[in-house]
Amino acid sequence: MTVRHYASESYTEVARGGAWREVLAELGLRSGIDAGLADGYATAVLRGAGDRLIVGRLTAAAQSFRPARGRGRLSCLVLPLDDGARLTRAPGLEATAVEPGSLVLLPAAADWSLTLDKTLPAIVLCVGEAVFNGRRTGLAGVGQAEIAPTSGLVAILAGLLRAVSDEVEHLSTVEWQSLEQSLAELYLTVVLSAQSRHAADAPAVGSSGLLHRITRTIEQRLADPDLSAVRVARLEGISERYLQKLFEETGESFGLYLRERRLQAARATLSEPRDVGLAVSDIAYACGFSDPANFNRLFKARFGQSPGVFRKQATRPDAVAATSRADQRGWPVEALTAKAMRPPPRSMPVPEQAGTAERPEPAEGPVHHHLPVRAAHVHWGFFSRSLSPVLEIASGDTVTVETMTQHASDDHELMIRGDPAAEEIFRWGPTGKTIDRRGAGPMDASIFGRGAGEGFGVHICTGPIAIRDAEPGDVVEVRILDMQPRPSLSPGREGRCFASSAAAWWGYHYRDLVERPKPRETITVYEIFPDAEDPYATALYAYRWAPQTDPFGIVHRIYDYPGVPVDTRRIEPVADVLTGIRIPLRPHFGVIGLAPREAPLVDSVPPAYFGGNLDNWRLGRGAAVYLPVSVPGGLLSIGDPHATQGDGEVAGTAIECSMTGRLAIRLHKKAQLPGRPIADLTYPIIETPTDWVLTGFSHPNYLAEFGAKGQSEVYSRSSLDLAMADAFRKTRRFLMSTQGLSEDEAVSLMSAAIDFGVTQVVDGNWGVHAIIRKTLLRRAAD
Amino acid sequence: MKHHSLPVSPQTVHWGYFSKAVAPALTVTSGDRVTIETLTHHANDDYERMIAGDSAAEAIFHWTAEEKTIARRGAGPTEGPFRYGSGEGVGVHLMTGPVAVEGAEAGDILEVRVLDVRPRPSASACYCGRCFGSNAAASWGFQYKDLIEEPKPREVVTIFELDTSGEPFAKAVYNYVWTPQTDPDGIVHPTIDYPGVRVDHTLVRRRENILQNVRVPARLHFGTMGLAPAESDYVSSIPPSYTGGNIDDWRIGKGARMYYPVAVDGAFFSVGDPHAAQGDSELGGTAIETSLTGDFEFVLHKRADLGGTILEGLCHPMLETAEQWSVYGFTFANYLAELGPAAQTEVGNHASIDRAMRDAFRKLRRFLMTAHKLSEDEAIALMSVAADFGVTQVVDANWGVHGSIRKEIFRCTGV
Repeated sequence: MTVRHYASESYTEVARGGAWREVLAELGLRSGIDAGLADGYATAVLRGAGDRLIVGRLTAAAQSFRPARGRGRLSCLVLPLDDGARLTRAPGLEATAVEPGSLVLLPAAADWSLTLDKTLPAIVLCVGEAVFNGRRTGLAGVGQAEIAPTSGLVAILAGLLRAVSDEVEHLSTVEWQSLEQSLAELYLTVVLSAQSRHAADAPAVGSSGLLHRITRTIEQRLADPDLSAVRVARLEGISERYLQKLFEETGESFGLYLRERRLQAARATLSEPRDVGLAVSDIAYACGFSDPANFNRLFKARFGQSPGVFRKQATRPDAVAATSRADQRGWPVEALTAKAMRPPPRSMPVPEQAGTAERPEPAEGPVHHHLPVRAAHVHWGFFSRSLSPVLEIASGDTVTVETMTQHASDDHELMIRGDPAAEEIFRWGPTGKTIDRRGAGPMDASIFGRGAGEGFGVHICTGPIAIRDAEPGDVVEVRILDMQPRPSLSPGREGRCFASSAAAWWGYHYRDLVERPKPRETITVYEIFPDAEDPYATALYAYRWAPQTDPFGIVHRIYDYPGVPVDTRRIEPVADVLTGIRIPLRPHFGVIGLAPREAPLVDSVPPAYFGGNLDNWRLGRGAAVYLPVSVPGGLLSIGDPHATQGDGEVAGTAIECSMTGRLAIRLHKKAQLPGRPIADLTYPIIETPTDWVLTGFSHPNYLAEFGAKGQSEVYSRSSLDLAMADAFRKTRRFLMSTQGLSEDEAVSLMSAAIDFGVTQVVDGNWGVHAIIRKTLLRRAAD
Repeated sequence: MKHHSLPVSPQTVHWGYFSKAVAPALTVTSGDRVTIETLTHHANDDYERMIAGDSAAEAIFHWTAEEKTIARRGAGPTEGPFRYGSGEGVGVHLMTGPVAVEGAEAGDILEVRVLDVRPRPSASACYCGRCFGSNAAASWGFQYKDLIEEPKPREVVTIFELDTSGEPFAKAVYNYVWTPQTDPDGIVHPTIDYPGVRVDHTLVRRRENILQNVRVPARLHFGTMGLAPAESDYVSSIPPSYTGGNIDDWRIGKGARMYYPVAVDGAFFSVGDPHAAQGDSELGGTAIETSLTGDFEFVLHKRADLGGTILEGLCHPMLETAEQWSVYGFTFANYLAELGPAAQTEVGNHASIDRAMRDAFRKLRRFLMTAHKLSEDEAIALMSVAADFGVTQVVDANWGVHGSIRKEIFRCTGV
């Protein structure tokens, strides 16, 4: 279950109250006072599912909470972090003030109210029956509200809750699941001991503590095929008859309960992808079934499927994707681990590519080349040191490079139709597609089943271009002399320019939407006016992504694979979007990169030391990027053309528009670098007519930092704080090593004159850039 | 419309905090203009250049064993024994004000227009008429625990001179590493932990010829401007929050209009922390801290009149310049409400631009949806392609990311 955020800052005054009540409903609370909610400042971060367990961190305005009835809810624990909270245990009773840091137990079945007299922060733990996976807790429908004495296990639970609430956004799914169980156990013990304190008032609950202990004993001994009521009774020091009676009071016999627990345990193991190597019979034994045939029969009777069939469905790639990893782009870490464990293939798989390299003879003086976009000249969604170059050039040559946006298929009619190159590249029929591999994933799509390459990398890249004599340690300069959008050749629209922007599932907004339905993906199609006095883009229409079936029959519920043809009958275009709004153009290439050295196939999405998906709009006409060479020839790829983009690229894409660039490419040999601003370069640096722009990343070289798991970890461990630290360190180094400043001078100058900005928060490896104005250093260069 | 003057003096400043409890230094009505003088709290980094001969500065910074003109510096305790000094340096900025605005009530928005900003020249015999500032790479800077040269850690003060003869720029004069300084009450300050401690220049080693040939273009602005929050009587001036404060955005200079939500009756506007120049992030902990004087105009927007304007639903500070609107995201949009009683010290333990980015994203989305009547899908599409997010500061405990949208985009929409 994902993390949900609420912030009153997100909502208009009218919508604030309703959105807040939804947050409370998730926690099994309702607010007694509605007035003033619209004014109140409030935030919430929730993790977990309501029928199991939720940890929430709230800032709530003055109001009164009461229980909201809901199936399977046990109780809510509230830990106010400031004074101003009062508990009324039952109607008509006096309210008691709650000390900050005390834990208030609020059973769903009782009739209490918790009043906040002012805005205050609190942590909430909400527990439902499902978290105990069918174990008897004896807690449903009982209990009374109280402030737990702050000592012993209560203090530990409170401390753990504080720690969990601090980290709740950053925990992996696996980490969360284990914490969920620990919190559930602690909760149970705390609540049962509270109940035993009240045992005199309510004799029935004394036995629930014992029942809790017994069920825990059973959980620990499920693997024992000889576990019986007699043995459990002996372990707990009670008579077998009393044990049976305890279970009968819950409406189920001991024998049936034990069998259910064994079956549930087996089912949990069968749905675990990590355990697919275990034989079904071994799982049966491990869960205390001594006869696998009998287990098969019982399992089928209970769940309607044989264990084998159930397992096949539960561990199917798309089922796994749907539960745990669909919110992360790129390789899932388990698949990378499995890949690393397999023996390496006898020969390195070279990505398929038609066509032959154009290798002009070395010429006197600079040569101009033309590299048209066509299937033989592009690779889709990855960088690779193993690709044969499609063009070889010499330092100082200029190249006209045509590029194609991978978003052209968002409107085939406007952006593909009539354009022979686009039609060829995007061609995809029931029997085949021109460019099968899209992304760095497996060709057999064995991970998610999206398609060849799995869409682990999405950009159509033109190249690679080999630069003669380029060797590791050298620097390649790519200077953009000009950029023009690619005119449409669609009948009736020839010469006009079109583009698309997707607010996609990898966007920064996707889990933080305020309007319904949530979540959703929206495509906006634009027209570009490059020849206007102030060139601009304006929106034509938008549509919500609807599941699309590709020609191979795979359904793409979300925008999870590039170039999927959009069936216009399945979408509903909305005109009148962004009416009157003109967005000034900032034409640039999102992707300019050299081949990385670390791996043969690298996802094109996360940028790093080799360049790649920099997504910095300053890399447009008149600007240059300097890239460190990692492999012989450098192997330059260019793509992801953007008509314009904002710093942050929050929705996940820019205005994506096929474009043609005229580039001047120069090789700077390692020996010539000392004393120049590009000396000691281990990362991409952008030069504009006015500025040096240094690129910081969350993980400057994620491929090296995380090793085999890099292409997954980089997506789950990105942060602006890390990217800021990287940008700071690079800027300090640049000022010290190329401008001759001391560390103290560099830090002072950064504080006074260097601007740090957010490049993007959507490309796996998040970026912060530092802008150093050349005028600062002008006199030093004189 | 009246034009008032608010010179800086011991009677018109408060040091290190915003407060709804301090008597106003001036009361104005909506539409009035005021010329307000401000002093940098770093002036004592070089007494000769920035205080000597300036009678107001001399009076305000006056501190001997017998007498300390402004005893309280910060929102901390004012009863000893002190670790650092009265107010304990929980907040450092020397603030001029408060300026009360007649008829302002919680829920209104106060617009503050910065009409002009000019530097305060030195009045000392040796440097008369020249302008100076100080930049401290301090313990609260982003670099402090990540230094590479020895000694580690260290604080460094760099003194700049502001050249206003042509296009104004700042140039470094000298720097020194901070050494323990003993204040007139006998408290030793091993680091820059309390504002206004006069640096004994016999105890530091000046290094000349630094940042040679480097010219820092001037960006005159006020780092700290804002209104008194409602939550506490004394609120540290360091973390910016929902009523503004130490936003440290260099765009808040001449021509800027700032909008602040009013939290207390009278609004209680204060201004200080004048800067000659600063980069986005204010990396080392301070800007080029330089005493400045500004001309301001105050416009009160009553709550009932906000509907249908760009101020509708505004619950955080916002900037308008000729080119753009900017909203300010913080690690905590309202840290006083979110962190409870220990908020003013606790806020620094959670500093993160990741959270500030999230806050800025939400605030800009709300602004586009409310003020520009866009649907959420339109707002998000527009932000991705036309809004720029930058790092405001990573040194003020409650870190900041600003989200800006250019006005020209809406030129043809009639808004």
